[in-house]
Formats: sequence, structure tokens, C-alpha cells
Amino acid sequence: MPGSGHPPIDRPPARRTHSARTLWKPALALSAVTLLATAAVANMDRAPGITRAPTPPEPIEIPEKLQSRLSGLSAEQMDYLKSGKSRRIVNPEVMFRRFESLSSEEITAYVDALLSLQDQIDYKAGRDKASIPLDTSSPSFNAWKIRRPAELNPWREDGPIELGRYLGGRGSGFATFANAPVALGPKDLIADGIEVAIVGAPLDMGSGWRDARNGPLALRTAGAVGGYGNDMFSMIDPTRVLKIADYGDIAIDQQSTERSVHHVREVVREIAKTGAIPIVIGGDHSLEYPNLAAMADVHGKGNVGVVHFDSHYDIGSDRVHLIDHGQPVYRVLHEGHVRPDQYVEVGLRARGPDKPTFQWMREMGMNYHTMVEVEKNGWAKVMEAALANARKSAKKIWISFDIDVLDPAYMPGTGTPVPGGLTMREAQPIMRRLCAENDIAGIDIVEVAPYLDVSYKTALNSAYLLNACLTGIAMRKKGLTKPHWLDPVSSSSRKGA
Amino acid sequence: MTATANTRIGAFALPSLLAMACALGIMPAAAETVRYPAALAARIAALPAEQQAFLTDSAMLDRVGLTADEVALALQGRTDEQASAYVGALVRVVADARFDPATDMAEIPLNPEATAFNLPTTLRPALLDKFYRAPGPFSIASYMYQPAGIPTFAQAPIALRKEDLVAGKVEVAFVGIPLDFSNGHRDAKHGPMALRASDGLVGTDIHTGLDPAKLLRMADYGNIAVDNMSVERTVGHVRSMVAEIASTGAVPFIVGGDHALMYPDVAAMVDVYGKGKVGVIQLDAHYEGVAEDAHYISDIQSVSRLIRDGILSGGDIVQIGIRGAGMSGADKARATAQGIRMHSMADIEKDGWRAVVDRALAQVRAGPEHLFVSFDMSVLDPAYAPGVGRPAPNGLTMREAVPLVRTLCAQNKVVGFELLDPAPILDISYKTAQNANYILHSCLAGMAQRKAAVTKAP
Repeated sequence: MPGSGHPPIDRPPARRTHSARTLWKPALALSAVTLLATAAVANMDRAPGITRAPTPPEPIEIPEKLQSRLSGLSAEQMDYLKSGKSRRIVNPEVMFRRFESLSSEEITAYVDALLSLQDQIDYKAGRDKASIPLDTSSPSFNAWKIRRPAELNPWREDGPIELGRYLGGRGSGFATFANAPVALGPKDLIADGIEVAIVGAPLDMGSGWRDARNGPLALRTAGAVGGYGNDMFSMIDPTRVLKIADYGDIAIDQQSTERSVHHVREVVREIAKTGAIPIVIGGDHSLEYPNLAAMADVHGKGNVGVVHFDSHYDIGSDRVHLIDHGQPVYRVLHEGHVRPDQYVEVGLRARGPDKPTFQWMREMGMNYHTMVEVEKNGWAKVMEAALANARKSAKKIWISFDIDVLDPAYMPGTGTPVPGGLTMREAQPIMRRLCAENDIAGIDIVEVAPYLDVSYKTALNSAYLLNACLTGIAMRKKGLTKPHWLDPVSSSSRKGA
Repeated sequence: MTATANTRIGAFALPSLLAMACALGIMPAAAETVRYPAALAARIAALPAEQQAFLTDSAMLDRVGLTADEVALALQGRTDEQASAYVGALVRVVADARFDPATDMAEIPLNPEATAFNLPTTLRPALLDKFYRAPGPFSIASYMYQPAGIPTFAQAPIALRKEDLVAGKVEVAFVGIPLDFSNGHRDAKHGPMALRASDGLVGTDIHTGLDPAKLLRMADYGNIAVDNMSVERTVGHVRSMVAEIASTGAVPFIVGGDHALMYPDVAAMVDVYGKGKVGVIQLDAHYEGVAEDAHYISDIQSVSRLIRDGILSGGDIVQIGIRGAGMSGADKARATAQGIRMHSMADIEKDGWRAVVDRALAQVRAGPEHLFVSFDMSVLDPAYAPGVGRPAPNGLTMREAVPLVRTLCAQNKVVGFELLDPAPILDISYKTAQNANYILHSCLAGMAQRKAAVTKAP
């Protein structure tokens, strides 16, 4: 990561342990020996990540007619003006128009004011804080993520806890993901050979409306309205074919995304290490970063490709905070967990993305399928292209599914909705197919913010998409991996699948 | 933190350091020895010394949320080995909750290499305006007798800079602070927008017969920038901006934003009017007095931080409407030991609204000469304000809150008012925003009444 403007935030950060710019920074420096050993181990599987340099400001050309009026400026002032850095402070046209009516002394004062503002804007060591201090004397410092010791419960065998009271029916009123039994730790997963562990991560620090903290709850209670069960397209009920567990919620520090993501990474890694496929229900999209970092921890860097469904590209960088829900893709790429050519983004259409960023993404070799492409070529073709990208990205893929890829007609309950999105009839098949036709490392479904939806729609649609992927995983388990396989009896056409 | 505690020691004449630490909110209530049934004595005595000490320390049991009865039941159902594992696990929980320098971040790193690190909080000077204008509040209404289509608080003219407030001799400056980090539901970031867009903040107050807009010079000062990824990074800028408003002589009418704002808002008042010169009346369902947390500031600890940092002493705070389930008996005892006069909903149920209000008003009048009003929307019953971050049933009615606020603002020299934690997305109706505006308006009516020298309580 030489010359990086964007330091890694992964753990452990090897040579950057002492740097104020790493997101992971233990308070005490480790001993030199430990540090070297850690650095050696950490660097071994470290593919170099990519870095995007901030776009330099466009230089400003001084209009001919103003040259003489500006002769009183010092060399430093002149250089600053020409550098174009002042574009962030004042539009050059406005400035030049003003200069036409100002005296030479007034112009000097004006440029001095710009320089002083520039000084105020730039980070200055000593004046500006490069970190947010925490109260290390608090006895509750880590209380938010302390796991409940098993000893506090009555003794039980390892294995998922069945919450049902009756032999038949729908259980006892306790809402879980996919109506699955509950696993509290890795031993519970291993004891039953759990294949899919669904875990909530109620991180709630999005930039739009909030409430993603209630996303996991919404997807659990969606079970009560028929969110999970038989998929008619494949005639497969994934809840019967797969061993699924509800792994509870991952603890979140709701005052800091930076503190939360490390713990998310630990828990997702813990699930994947047992061999179960982790499915993370968010929570905001910052989660994509710890999820992919955990995949790299378990499967190795560059061994998991990503399909990122979203109306936003989430590849922001050059911000004061090292992670937020607009930057996870950049952090993943920057730390080298996934290579740019292994990324497939689908459904982009938000206002934020600009041309230089798209150009940069293209240069980096990233694959993206925007709604522009859907308008041009139709969804069927775009879906096939995305599926082809996914297949060649890596042996295993992770699906990061931001529900705002769908139109707000289907998903009103999300923090940063964008009109003009996918329909359920477009999203459902691609989820099922991705999960059937690829080896899924894991998925996340993020940005479910239920109180923005006075209806049941967002929760039910999200659950259907989760069920579609579970169906795909179940199809794969049964060997039904042929592209776009549909059960022959599910339609009246007698043509084979 | 020790240094902060030391600076406060002189203010208390408590016998022991421990009691003082409790009063300062830096420790939970003092430990008491826990007693167990005699039948368990031998088994407990057989446990390692560390585990025995844990079991007999009530503060430790508090930390793991257990009572002696629950522990006794758990021990009875376990073999000696299991019992030791059980208590060992509890000991481990408390130890693991502490900061460990080898594995924990002591601070949250930022990216100092970010271009324009401070851009969001840098103010645009008048010099750089595209078109110059003379300082002073300006109207954005197109018509003489029609309100502007662009909503502002109380349909007031806009002031963007300190010079505008000064030139217009503004007496009331509304300002929005869209901080959205509530420990409950979120959406306080849209509070200022909702209140600007709602009605209820203009016209004649029927109780006083006064139209505040005709007696007070008001302006909408826009919003103050926040970092919606960190409360800690927000409070410094808010404090200086609110202090700047107050330094012109204007009374800031702050619309939040979550209750963490109480910390910089009150600190700004103290910065301007001096330590010990500002009293606070807090109408809130929550006591905001959480004593310890890894974060230095958030909504649930705004009051304890003000006291801990020596900005306010407990004796300068009067609270009304407290009922949130987050406060334990020990928490209440600590708040009382700090000198806070807390009038909970239990007091109101016992003595009646009128008696409690009279007591509280008398306490406020006897307090420091400047009054800051902290009104958390949760003090109202959710029937009146469903759109709040931390709603709690059994709250005040509008017919209780409006006269109280008006009286407070008529009887005292109010130097600042904050209305916190409206979260409009939680209310599919207009109620929360309209009621919030009525609360603001009732204080304006009180201030107008005071200005008109009619300061008798209604």
C-alpha cells in the first residue's frame, strides 16, 4: 500500500499498527517481536489492494484582462490561485468577476482570505484531531459485545435449539429467520452440520433515513406472513432441504460504525469457519466491508468474487471517516480482499456516481451493469451478462444485496431509496439463479428500514429474496445447477426444463 | 477524567471518596455485601476467593444483571464443579467488559489525508458571496401577505451569519441541528425540516392574547453542520455555533436532533453567561444520567457529562416528567445525590400536577438568573408525540406542557431553548410536528409576555 491516501482498516494492520490512519489500532504497541511476527503472517496472503488518488483540482487559468490587476499578488498567492485548489471555496467565475471591480489591495486581501480558508479546511496536525477518543476507564468499555457465557443457561447438548412446542404447525410464536432453530455459537452449528447460518447485524448509521437496526427483526417476523417456504419455480422448499439456523444478532456499537465492523468480521468469520454459509441481514451497507474481509480471512484474499446489487456504487473514498455505508466497496478493494475484476455491480442508478468514478471503475476492471444498460438492452440480457461475470469472478461468490436496487414500489422501507429500480420479477430469478449456479460463500441483505414502510411489503419482499437464494443453494445441493433450471411441473408447458 | 473529578471535589462535603465518586457519576452505587441462604454457605466457601468476593459484592451482581436470589437458585441446581464454572463465567464477563490495551482500540481513527478534512464545518464568509448584500435578516417571501413557499421556522426571515443577527438586533434565533444518533429509534435528522414545514409556530397565543412575532425580533438561522457518523465530532462545532448566537444577545431556539445536543447547547450557554449563572429546566421522559460508557457523549449521558465535566452542577438542574425504564433506583439515588431536583411521573401521580409544577417553578425561580429550557419531545405522551426517538407512555398532555412552558418563559430570563428528538418518520400524521411547534410557540408567548412586562403567572 505504498503512497496510499487511503490506509487499510483491516486487522491486524501489520506495518501500520502505529499509524493514526488505520481503523484497527490497539492502544498499546505490541512488543517488537510480536509485531514483526504479526506483520510477517499478515503479509503472507496479502494481495496488494488498489488505491484511488483523490482527483486533483483542475488548474485555473487567469484571464488575460485581469493579469495586470493581479500583478500585486505574491508568488505564493499566484501559485495558489493557479493550482485550482480554491475551486472548493469559490467558483472562479464569481471570483474573477469580483476582481474586475476590486483594487489591487482588495484583491490581495481577497486572496489572503482564500488562503486562510484553505488553511482552515486542510487537516492540520495538532489543531485537528485525527481520531475520536474513547473512555478507556469505563468498566463497560466492551460490554456491548460481551458474549453470554453458556454456563449461565441450564446445561444442554451442543446443537441448534428448537423453539417449537408442537409437533405440527408453525412453532411457538418465536419469530426466527426462515423459521429456523437457534444457534448461539459455532459449536451449535458444528454439532448439527448446519449449512446456512442467518445472522442479523442491526448497524444503523446510514446517510439517509435510518432504522436499518430493525431490519433483522422485520425479516424474522416476515415468517409469520409466509415469507419462507416452497419455491414454486423449482418446487423446492429450502427450509426442508437445507440445515438452516438463526444465529441471532451480531452486537453493534450504535455510536460507531468503525468500532462495530471489527466485531461483525469476527462473527462472520466464526460462522464461515464451521463450513456454514453465513447470511447477514442488515443493517446498513457498511456491513459489506467486514463481510468480505471475513471471507478473505477464511477463504483467502482474491478467492471470493462479489455481486453487489444496489442503486448506489458504494465506492466512495477520500472521506474523513474510513468506513460508512457509501464506502464499503472501496475498503474491500483497497485492502485487497477482492480484486476489482472480481466485482460485479448491478442496478446502479443513484444520483451520486459521477463520470470520473465510473471511468476509474472501468480502468480498474470492475464489472458494472447499470439501469442505463437495462434501458438499452433489457433485463434478460443484462441478467445473463451479470451471471456470466459472476461465474468467472472466482470459484466462490458473495452476494451483497442492497434492497434499494429494487424500485421503491417494492421496497419503500429503505434509507436511501431511488426510483427506477428493479421489479420483484426481475430480482427473484437472478437471486435464485446466482445461488444455484454458483458456489455461494455467503450473502448479505442490507438496508431494510421497516418503519419507512407502513405496509408489510418491504419485509415480505426481502424475505422472498432471501428465500429465493436459499432455494438456489438447495437446488445446488440437489445437483440442479443447469442454467435457469425450472421445475417442469411448475408451468403448463410440457417442454422439458 | 481524574483531573475533572478533582476539580469538582471542593464543591462537595461528602465523607468518603467513594461516596464522592458516586455523586460525581463516575461510579455506580457503593457496593453492599450480599447475603445468601445458610444452606449455601459451605458451597460458597468452597469456591475460589475471587469468586466468593464477586458473589458477595452487590455492585458486581448489578453488572451482570443478577439478584442474590437468582444466583442462589442457579447454584442450588448445579454441581460444585458447575457452580464454579457458573461464577467463573460471571467473573470473566465483568473482566472482559473492561478495556484491554492489547486488543482494543482506545480511539477511533479518522483519515487525516482526506481532502478538505474540515470543509463541512467551514463557514462561507460574506466576502465570497456571488452577490453582496447588507447584513441583516432577509425575507424570502414573494408576496406581502402570503407566507413564503420555502418554509422557515415561524415564517421568520433568514439570517445566515452572526452579522445578520447583530444588524437585525435579533432576539430569537431558530436553528436546526439534525444530529441523528438516538439510542432509540432514529430520524431526528429530519426534525428541523418537519418543524419548518409544519404549522403551529405563528399567530396569536390565545392565553396571553399576544402574537410573539409582533413583540420579538425573530430569525431562522438555518441548520448547524453535524457529522452523522460521530456525535463526538459534532459537539465541538455545535457548542461554538450556539455560543456565537448567544453572544449576539439572541436567544437560540434550537430544534434537534437527538438529546446528545443538550451537552454542547448548555455548555455554550455557560461559555457565554458564566459558570453557575445558568440553570436548566429539563422536560424529558429520560434522566440522561448514564454514568459510564466507552463513548464520551451520547443522548443518554448528556446530563451526566455536563456534571462530570464541571459545566453544570447537579443543583442547577430541575427535571420534570422522568419515567423512562432505563433509570434504576441506584441511578435515581445518584442523580439526587448530585443535587438534581427530579420530578418524576411518580411524583405527579402522588401529589398531582399542580403541586409538582408549583414546586418546580419555585425551584427554577430560586436558581441561577439565566434559564435554559431543555424540552425532549418524549416528555409528552406518545398520543401527542408519536414521532420521537425514545417514546414512553404515561407522559404529559399538551394541556399540561403548554402552560408550564409558557409560565417558565414568562417568569424567568430564558437565554436558550432546545426542542429535542422529534423523529418525524415515526409519525404518519402531522401531530408531532404541530405539537412541537406549539411548545416552541408557548415559550415565545411567555417571552413576549415578559417583554410586555406582564410577568404574572396565568
